[in-house]
Formats: sequence, structure tokens, C-alpha cells
Amino acid sequence: MTCHDAREQFSAMIDDALDAAERAELDSHLATCAECRRELQRFRDTVALVRAAAPVRAPASFVDRVLEAARPVPWPQRLLRGLFLPWPVKLPMEAAAVVLVAVGVALVYRGSPELQQSARQEPAAPVVTQAPSVAPPEAQAPARENDAPRILYGARGEEKKAREQDTPREAEKAKAAPRAQERVEGFVKTPEPGALVDKKRAEAPTPSAPQRAPTARDADLQKGTESQDRQAPVVGKLEAPASRAERQRAAKDDVRSGATQQTELRADSLKAQRPASAPPSATSAFVPPDVSGQLAVSDRELALRSLAELVARLGAAQTRRFDTSDGPIIEIAVPREVYAELNRGLAQLGRWQPGKEPSTLPATVRVVVRITG
Amino acid sequence: MEGRTGDDASLVDRLRRGDPRAFEDLVIAYQHRVFGVALRMLGNRAEAEELAQEVFLRVHRAIGEFRGEAKLSTWLYAIASRLCLNRLASGEWRMARHGDQALTRLASRESSPVEEVERSELETALHRAIAELGEERRIVVVLRDLEGLSYEEIATALELELGTVRSRLHRARMDLREKLERFLP
Repeated sequence: MTCHDAREQFSAMIDDALDAAERAELDSHLATCAECRRELQRFRDTVALVRAAAPVRAPASFVDRVLEAARPVPWPQRLLRGLFLPWPVKLPMEAAAVVLVAVGVALVYRGSPELQQSARQEPAAPVVTQAPSVAPPEAQAPARENDAPRILYGARGEEKKAREQDTPREAEKAKAAPRAQERVEGFVKTPEPGALVDKKRAEAPTPSAPQRAPTARDADLQKGTESQDRQAPVVGKLEAPASRAERQRAAKDDVRSGATQQTELRADSLKAQRPASAPPSATSAFVPPDVSGQLAVSDRELALRSLAELVARLGAAQTRRFDTSDGPIIEIAVPREVYAELNRGLAQLGRWQPGKEPSTLPATVRVVVRITG
Repeated sequence: MEGRTGDDASLVDRLRRGDPRAFEDLVIAYQHRVFGVALRMLGNRAEAEELAQEVFLRVHRAIGEFRGEAKLSTWLYAIASRLCLNRLASGEWRMARHGDQALTRLASRESSPVEEVERSELETALHRAIAELGEERRIVVVLRDLEGLSYEEIATALELELGTVRSRLHRARMDLREKLERFLP
């Protein structure tokens, strides 16, 4: 046995892992080799040094943390963890994905004039309310049945389609007038909550029925509605409690699934462009006005009369009226060309404080005036 | 040594029966050993704690798969060793560690700079020497000389031949002998 061979056995020798023959051979070499004996001793000292290392102890709270981690986690929490944890990695990626989708949607929207057109259809309601109620009652009945819940939940898609057809549909406006009148009545005669909810469910879009595509403007308007919910009790009256709760839940869902919604936006817009493929749009949320404001007057009755005159003079139309404990709320549909004049007229009737106007006004501007004082 | 074989058998039975206290007893009994392996292999307390926790969670999930052919402790060491080696081999780990700095940082119970200074030079050198070993040699030394496993248990835990264990252990000790030369009497 050479010194090299002998030293290769040192480790096993220390651990008593050599068989008898190996051990005997090694012992006989060591008996004659002082250098290997010294080397073996150093080897033993090294192993003793390592084994003498201070023991390691787990942190004091380790057991609690392990037990906590082993506890079953409810599935919503697991889902959230899966989606967002680890925060430093997943959040930036998710934010980037949202931004990317948003930019993509904006580019597609800007690059497709037909999409923009479909999102900017003008309302027909103002004109129809002024038309005489000449339609026979039997013609009104189905309209009332269908329209009341649409108004309550906002049949913006349908209204927009109607608005879009300004000139070619003059003849149809007279027909639509009673329906608009019924809409106003629909606000006042709020059906019982259960019926509304059922109605809404009945009108809920099916996979084959296209929904109107939400736009950025709609999102702003929706915010306006929400703030109006807080400011104006009348708007709250328009919805049954159950339906409002549903909408709030839906709004929360919308926030959570923002990216998905944006992705669906384009598809929905495209669907909305295919009028022949499906029936009119189903209901969505309550439709906010383009402009809303407060008119503080000293005499409400006088103001109402003056307002009616102003509306008539401008060729506008009072489309809705709600009487609340704080005062009446009037919705006016006014052609864009005379919107400024309406503002001036309102300022002459009292202290008129209009809210924020959209950057681009539609052909027919829907203005809500809350009369106080 | 915490946790005896008889106790282990009873512990495994209780774990399989779903005794809610059994898992807690398991963690209490083996926390320092599992954490010790993780810390000496990874050289970072936070990483070691996370990995040790993962070891126990895997045991919790897979106790039904434990056939009892090896000791419970060997099974735990096997899981811990495999997770450590996988972690060290992962690209993420290699990117995160700053050269060899993280590995040569002392894998011991103290971590603050002040305590590190106060620690004996010998112990510092010892931990550094262990940390500087190659991963495959290091795990063998840790299991044998620091955790006291037999060659057979190490072979089972690491799924290696006995001869491979013996050879790697010898090489590792030779490396350590060179690194610790000046501390030898």
C-alpha cells in the first residue's frame, strides 16, 4: 500500500467504515510510515474541529410560522396569492399588462372611425318628448312595458341608436314620442323592486345578444352618475335597492376584471356595429347626463315656467322631471348649437352652476338642472 | 438528539391519523436539524427559514406517501437536502447570490455584523471553509459531521451509492483539512 492509497482510507477509517481486510492493510502501512501517522492525526483533528462547530437553532417563532403556513387557506385567498404574490414580481407585470391592453384598446379605437362613430350615436329623446301624444294607446302599451326598466337601468345603447338617426328618422320621431312620455312616467311610477330585478334579469344579455361597447366617455359619465347617486336622492329612487346592490357588485367586479373588460371592449364595439345580427342592445347602467348643474332661484314656480319657455324658445325639449324634497330636477335635451344659449338663459333665471362639460358635446346635449332655493 | 425512533413511529402514526397536534410535535422535534441543514447549505438565514418551512409543509402534505422504510429523520433530511440542492442549482439562486460572497458568509446562528466580529476566528474560518465546499461535498459533510447521519442514511437521503458517499466525504474532509490547517494543533 502506498502513502496515497493509505490516505484515501483515512476518512472511512475515522468513521469505522472499513472492512476488516482494508483496516488490516491500512494498519500495517501506518505501523511503518510516520508521515502517514502524522497525516492521519491531522485528519482526525480536522474532523473533530468540524464536529465541534456550534449547533444551529431555528428562530424562536419558526414553529408558529410553519403551523400558520400549514393551516388550510380559503380558496379566494389562495387565488389572490396565486395572482399577486410575490408582489415585487407579479404587480409590475400585471400593471404593465393592464397598461399594454389599455394602450392597445386605445390604438384600435382611434384607428377605427367606425368604432368611434358607434360610440357617439346621438339621442333622439329630446325631439320625441315634444311631439304630440297622438299614438294610439295600443301602440304605447308594448313600449311602456319594455321601456320602463330600460330607463331605470339605462337603455343607453338603444337611445344612442335612436339619436344617431337624426334626419332620416324625423317621421319616426312622432311615433317615438309617446314612448318617451312613458319613460318619464316610468321614472315616477317606479315598479316594485322585485319586478325590476326580474325585468333586468329577463333583459340580461345573452351570449348572442351584443352589448353596447363601453367607452372612456361612458366611464366618466358613470363616475358622474355615482357622484350623483350621493348628491341627488332622486337618482337613488330610480333604482330598487336590490338592483342597486346588484349594480354595486357588478361595479366591483368590473374594477377587478378591468383588463378583461378592456379586452372585451373592442369585441363588444364590433358586435354593436352589426345591427342586423341581433336585437337592440340590452339594458346596462343608468345613463348619466352630459352636463348637470344646480340652478339656485328665489321662486321655483317662476323658474320652472321661465325654464319651460326657454326650452321651447331654443327648440330644446324637457325629457324628464323629478320632484324631490330638495326641489325639482329637470332633464333637458338641447341641440348642441344652442347649448351655449341655454346656459346663458339658465344664468339669467338664477345662479346657474353647471358641472363639468365633456370635451366634445354630442349633437343633442342632455342637461340635468336641479332647481333649488 | 431530539426525537427517537420509537417516538418517530408513534409520531408518524399520529400524523397519518390526522392528529392536529402531531404536526406541531414534528416541527418542534426537527426544526433545528432541518433549519441547520438549510442554513449551512444556503448560508442565509431568511432563505434557510423559508426552505425549512417548505420542508415541513411538504411533509405535512405528503405524510401519506411516507412508507416507513427509512427513518422519519432520514426522510426529512432527504427532503431538506433535495430542496437545498435544487435551490442552489436554480438559475434564480445563482443570479441572486453575489459571486461566492453569499456562500462564504457565515452560515451560523448569529447574523449581525457586531456578532460576526465577536465570533471566534476559528468558528468563522470553520463556517467559511464549509461554505466554500462544493455543494455535493458540502451536503455530505453537513449530514455526516454536523448532523451525525450514518453513511447508509446519507446514501438513502441523497439517493447515492455508499461508495459515492464515502468518496465525497473523504474529498470534502481533505478540502477542510487544507483550509483549516492553521487551526490544527
